[in-house]
Amino acid sequence: MDTVALIAVAVFLFTYALIVDERIHRAVAAMLGAAIVVFVGIVPWEALLEHVDFGTIFLLLGMMIIVNTARGSGLFEYIAIRTAKLAKGSPIRVLVLFAIVTAIVSAFLDNVTTVLLLTPMLLYVARVMELNPVPFLVTEIFASNVGGAATLIGDPPNIMIASSAGLTFNEFLIHLAPIMVVDMAILLLMMYAIYGRSMKVSPDERQEMVRTLKGLDERAAIVDRSLFNKSVAVIAFVVLLFFVHDRVGEILHVVLPFVDPAMGLEPAEVALIGAAILLFWSRQSPEEIFEKIEWPALFFFGGLFVIVGALVETGIISSIAQIMVENVGSTGEAMFIVTWFAAIASAIVDNIPLTAAMIPLIHDLGATMDVYPLWWSLALGACLGGNGTAIGASANVVVIGIAERDGIGITFIDFLKVGMLVLFVTVAVGFGILWLKFAM
Amino acid sequence: MGYSSSLIQRKFKDIVGKRYESVLKEYSEFLLTEEEVLIPEVRSILIPLDFFVHDIPDEAIDVLSAYDATISLAYITDAGVVDLLERALDRESTEEFRTKKEDYGRKLLERTAAKLEEHGFSTQTRMFVGHKGDDVVRMAKNHDMVALCRRYADGESTDASISPIVLRICQRVETPALIY
Repeated sequence: MDTVALIAVAVFLFTYALIVDERIHRAVAAMLGAAIVVFVGIVPWEALLEHVDFGTIFLLLGMMIIVNTARGSGLFEYIAIRTAKLAKGSPIRVLVLFAIVTAIVSAFLDNVTTVLLLTPMLLYVARVMELNPVPFLVTEIFASNVGGAATLIGDPPNIMIASSAGLTFNEFLIHLAPIMVVDMAILLLMMYAIYGRSMKVSPDERQEMVRTLKGLDERAAIVDRSLFNKSVAVIAFVVLLFFVHDRVGEILHVVLPFVDPAMGLEPAEVALIGAAILLFWSRQSPEEIFEKIEWPALFFFGGLFVIVGALVETGIISSIAQIMVENVGSTGEAMFIVTWFAAIASAIVDNIPLTAAMIPLIHDLGATMDVYPLWWSLALGACLGGNGTAIGASANVVVIGIAERDGIGITFIDFLKVGMLVLFVTVAVGFGILWLKFAM
Repeated sequence: MGYSSSLIQRKFKDIVGKRYESVLKEYSEFLLTEEEVLIPEVRSILIPLDFFVHDIPDEAIDVLSAYDATISLAYITDAGVVDLLERALDRESTEEFRTKKEDYGRKLLERTAAKLEEHGFSTQTRMFVGHKGDDVVRMAKNHDMVALCRRYADGESTDASISPIVLRICQRVETPALIY
């Protein structure tokens, strides 16, 4: 290995260690790593523009604008109160309904915002029921990661994979969404088996909860009715557009003959179109909305792409791919390695940097084998692997952090015990389905 | 704080930034605090009545029914008005005014007590000439809650504003006050 390659590897390992430890903000760590490899000329300017995946960054940016505009209407609080009321005082129903709502919302909007807005309501309901909130919170975490894995826009690893591999929204619905429905059902059964006994309440307590929740007015959560309606309409439109993004030309050509029927929209374009429509229609101040964009997250992604780009430029990734090709006999075997490596590694490293490093590796494997199944293996492993530890995915950190601020301790070991079980069961089921589909 | 706990707090801060504070602020607009969720023990409720309070609406009774309390209804005729009449009119006219007031007060007390008893409350009634503000503040010390009609001691104003005497009572009583 030459000096340049050694520097690239050292920067990569050092930056990832900083990201895991987080004593320095992850965005700063990624930017610092990127600055070093650019400064020493490993990644020249032309290559930098190639390595930074603007599809991912613009998709995240567009969705952040939509979510932050919609947030001001009280949409999420409305959903949280409606969900709590639907449970009608039953703890099991609270657990199941919040898990399902979290999974569905996470499938279409980002996981962090979803859990950030649903967790305070879940804590409130648990407090009213006088029950230990931990079962509800950990189920919410797992549901968010499972739900996020179901669609192209649900979880950053899926966005990165789709953007790099050119996968469509509907391909995710065909290959991953059914797996996540099965995993969700298994997850709920597991949570019931683990926590069901501790969730008993007396009829009086149930009445008390119903009465308290009845006093909550979901309409009061709607801060701006007009913005609420416009947000729901635009989110529905964007989701609809995602369904047809790859054949939007065919549809438009019918009414606008000058549109090329072969034209398709990239997912990032869909998100930015939705953001532009919502900003225009809602008349919200763009300054206020743009201030709420999570710029550190976007710079974090940008930095990671450059650091991983350094490994590509120095040939490290192709060397690892070569070793894999020499030792892997079949597609099924490659799927097995990618799925389980991604699952276990993303439980330790955080699934975003892990996916950033795995994507070029799979591209390199494409020279000698069909990598289409491997993209699904990576998505499955990276998204569900996040369930393994308290730091495996951003949703985990957010929920555990909120709980800690509320005086509820979920220790690393407590989470690990349940998280690893959920990781192994859900990944095994998902891998089994993928294997039957692609390797049989 | 252990390493894992401080690690999660660091990651939380970096991922969430200041967003959690704004979410909490938004929720606090309509979620009850832990203190508010606890229903205080209320065994007796004082409801002052006068010429301007014609009824206790069902919505107020619904709220009061959350407490298993005895309700004390007190009809108060303003001592200042009686004193003014005594000085301005002859004794007979003043007595006639007082009788009419007492008659009205008694009927209102009976009607209100009957309505509350229909809803399962036990009631006590009393009628006297006194100060509508000071006497309520004094009597409230012997009760766990005071429920005030927004029109109490206010004349026949047509808007929905709260009478100044009611606001003053709320400022002075130490017990919880409910305005209906």
